[in-house]
Amino acid sequence: MEIQHDSSSEFVIPISYGSSEITQTGKWGFQKPETVFMTAPCQEACPAGINIPQFLYFANEGLYGEALLTILKESPFPGICGRVCFHPCELSCNRAQFDESVSIHTMERYVSDATSNEMIELLPLSVGKSNVAIVGAGPAGLSCAYFLSLLGHHVTIFEARKEPGGVMRWGIPDYRLPKSILKREIQRILSLPIELKTGTKIGRDISFDELSQFNGIFLSPGAGINVLLSLQGEKLGQIWKGREFLERINSKEKIKLGKETIVIGGGNTAMDVARSALRLASGVTVAYRRTRDEMPAIKDEIEEAEGEGVKFGFLIQPVKVNILKNKKLSVKFQCMKLSRRDQSSRPKAIPVRGKFITLETDHLITAVGEQVDLSWLPEELIKNQLIERKRSSKIFAGGDAVDQPRTIVTAIGAGKRAAISIDSFLRGNDEDSILSKMTVGSKGSLSMEAYLRGRENADWPQAKKVVPYEEINTLFFEPSKRARVRKRNRDRVLKSFSEVNLGYSAKEAKFSASRCFSCGTCNYCYNCYYFCPEGVISLDPAQRARTVDFDHCKGCGTCAKACPRSVVEMRKLP
Amino acid sequence: MKEFMTGNHAVAHAVKLCRAPLIAAYPITPQTAIYEKLSEWEASGELKGIMMRTESEHSAMASCIAASLTGVRTFTATSSQGIALMHEMLHFAAGCRAPVVMANVNRLLAAPWGFWADQLDSLSQRDTGWVQFYCENGQESLDTVIQAYKIAEQVYLPTMLSLEAFFVSHFMEVVDLPEQEQVDQFLPLMDLPHKFDIDKPGFLVPVVPSELYQKYKHMAQVSMDSVKRIAVEVDQEFKEEFGRGYGIVEPIMLEDAEVVLVTAGSITSTARVAVKDLRKRGKKIGLLKVRLFRPFPVEAVQIALRGKKKIAVIDRNISLGSGGIFCQELRAALVHSPEHPLTYSYLAGIGGTDVTPEVIEKIASDVTNREQPVDKPIWVTES
Repeated sequence: MEIQHDSSSEFVIPISYGSSEITQTGKWGFQKPETVFMTAPCQEACPAGINIPQFLYFANEGLYGEALLTILKESPFPGICGRVCFHPCELSCNRAQFDESVSIHTMERYVSDATSNEMIELLPLSVGKSNVAIVGAGPAGLSCAYFLSLLGHHVTIFEARKEPGGVMRWGIPDYRLPKSILKREIQRILSLPIELKTGTKIGRDISFDELSQFNGIFLSPGAGINVLLSLQGEKLGQIWKGREFLERINSKEKIKLGKETIVIGGGNTAMDVARSALRLASGVTVAYRRTRDEMPAIKDEIEEAEGEGVKFGFLIQPVKVNILKNKKLSVKFQCMKLSRRDQSSRPKAIPVRGKFITLETDHLITAVGEQVDLSWLPEELIKNQLIERKRSSKIFAGGDAVDQPRTIVTAIGAGKRAAISIDSFLRGNDEDSILSKMTVGSKGSLSMEAYLRGRENADWPQAKKVVPYEEINTLFFEPSKRARVRKRNRDRVLKSFSEVNLGYSAKEAKFSASRCFSCGTCNYCYNCYYFCPEGVISLDPAQRARTVDFDHCKGCGTCAKACPRSVVEMRKLP
Repeated sequence: MKEFMTGNHAVAHAVKLCRAPLIAAYPITPQTAIYEKLSEWEASGELKGIMMRTESEHSAMASCIAASLTGVRTFTATSSQGIALMHEMLHFAAGCRAPVVMANVNRLLAAPWGFWADQLDSLSQRDTGWVQFYCENGQESLDTVIQAYKIAEQVYLPTMLSLEAFFVSHFMEVVDLPEQEQVDQFLPLMDLPHKFDIDKPGFLVPVVPSELYQKYKHMAQVSMDSVKRIAVEVDQEFKEEFGRGYGIVEPIMLEDAEVVLVTAGSITSTARVAVKDLRKRGKKIGLLKVRLFRPFPVEAVQIALRGKKKIAVIDRNISLGSGGIFCQELRAALVHSPEHPLTYSYLAGIGGTDVTPEVIEKIASDVTNREQPVDKPIWVTES
């Protein structure tokens, strides 16, 4: 046989120009990869249940509008939380076990600031016929109104004060939360068909019974009454209550302070009062009956206060106040000591017998906690000085007036929980059985996104698992440090109430978003695509799709191993 | 231009002159100097092309095959355990008719471990379908790389040349470096039929029925057979261009020789000296160098050895259970030759042991005194 070489390679070697796809190699396998989005620990820790890896993914892609919409699915207040949240998310961040946690808090603020000029049009998802009343336009009430309105309900908010916002307006000073931010976020909520009746106090302007005409009622009046210290001389005019002091500042009232101010308390209100007083050119000492370690205020707040010049006196409790001839106050403090710490709670402060100190001051401001005004409520809704709802009734409650941590993000979570509960109640679903299916991990927050997914057919999949650090393939990450948040120059800070924290630059934001491990969320890193020996994985970031050609996937599991963020799970075939 | 260099560097120079755009290799003693030199040139920009540093020789050959099938010239170098690991891919290269060129530095195969010259590594790959050359020195190694491309690209068969560890790979000698223009003229840029096209995807190595498999093997054998003619043509053309030629076998003082020594590789150089000395002493000894091993130049060997009484094949290798591999081939090639000579197998230089002129003379004397055929190989040791 004579062989001639022509230009056709098929003549020399066999080549198939057909496809070998006809061989369904996928039938050989005994397991299949499944894309399973899981809950990140940060998301679990967030009382509002924000899908943090998802919004950071968009931020890393420069899609800040998408990032904002991701946050808005679970919380109406990214600009506010990005400034004043105590960010438990960062404590739970898996990356904290690797190097330093991701700057989630500052990134939330960045997403909000970067989109401040974008018009976000919120549209209700459906149209309902139910009317819901909300009492109190604080973070819980506004959140509840926001979600209920998105779910298609007619919402009427009754607010006793002349402006909405609650503690966000009256409690937090401008240097932490500028009013422009508050205004913008409330306006966004009120762009929904929500009726807001300000200056309407239940029990004064309308009776509680009149609320019964609504199909559902959410009570979120907050806790606005200062706790008294039972201190001799407490009623003196020069002794102010912390919340009232902050309200006057937040109402732009001109206040003049003398040289020295003593603030009593160790919580966030005490810190806000102390730092505000500092800005009114007074020297400030915070007196707290326990030690620094037991202070309930956010650590950042304490550090910032100290950095600005607030002095601290620990283990002292005021017992008596006298006015001196020079109009100054003489405050007598009982010295305290800590009782032995038991494991469950903070140690108690107990007096050291016979030991006292006396300090002179121009002002004394007490900030030792707030109580709920319950005067307008029927007895059956009150328990332990708080509101407690009666099961299976159309009355729901949340925020600082119920038994829960008093933080803005907890209030947002409570507003969302109430919105889901009220919607379920109005649709005739049993809220107790469905709430467990939209939990974000096991720390109590709920996902509105999960609720909406099953709402139409009242059929929800089981809640997602939380990704532990051990399931992150850290080989794919390089250690890096968090970007530090820029702050306004200290000398200038104390001359006004302008915002102290300046957030991130665009470059810092991009870097910070890129540090996210994206635990349990596909961020289209393409690892699975590159590692797949069969070439059967398709990724489409634009459509947020990850698909596998199961006719040709042999189930080798390489993609599951190569995924740095535990998004791919191998499932045994029956 | 003449330069003083090692055999390894001579090979590297040849690869650069041949403008292979893809080199894929994995380092192994005693070949590493080739890899290093090419790497150096890649870093300095003198080498125009991609140097793939693969994780194994198996992958190096897989890379060469894939690149070759897109229609580009490729090169790899290896040795010993490396070529053993490459074995599976060597069959693929031949089966895919990929004209890959490879330099193999002959080193013994473990175990026991060692780095010394021995041809068993490449001879073990005898049946993989590669064209094989055995080179005597650095100059010949350089020239054979250039010739190898010219042959491989005509017959679509991969081609390897072997040079022995240290004796050739590391010894320095004067090497005449051809000019780039000369090489470009001798070896134009490759135009292969294997041009895989992403717009017309094809699947290589599909399952074929028995009849088709047989047909492709038959075709490959026909191509392989044509190498005996093409290699001679290429060598003649090379000689015209560069003034050096080697033939596929080289007869040395054979005209009146009664006893002929047969060698391959660097032992030939030593044998040239020994034979000259023996001739001075009146011994009618000749020498036949076998340069092309696959395809085996049966006809050329038959012609060269016609009418000889005895031949002694010196093998720096052993196929355990049989003997020297070149001797097996010689015996098979001569079996149909009329009045074919008695063919003796001598094992010398295995594991890199030194084959001195005295060793060669000892073999010549031994074979001269023998009258009876010997089936088994005869071990030549220094003692």
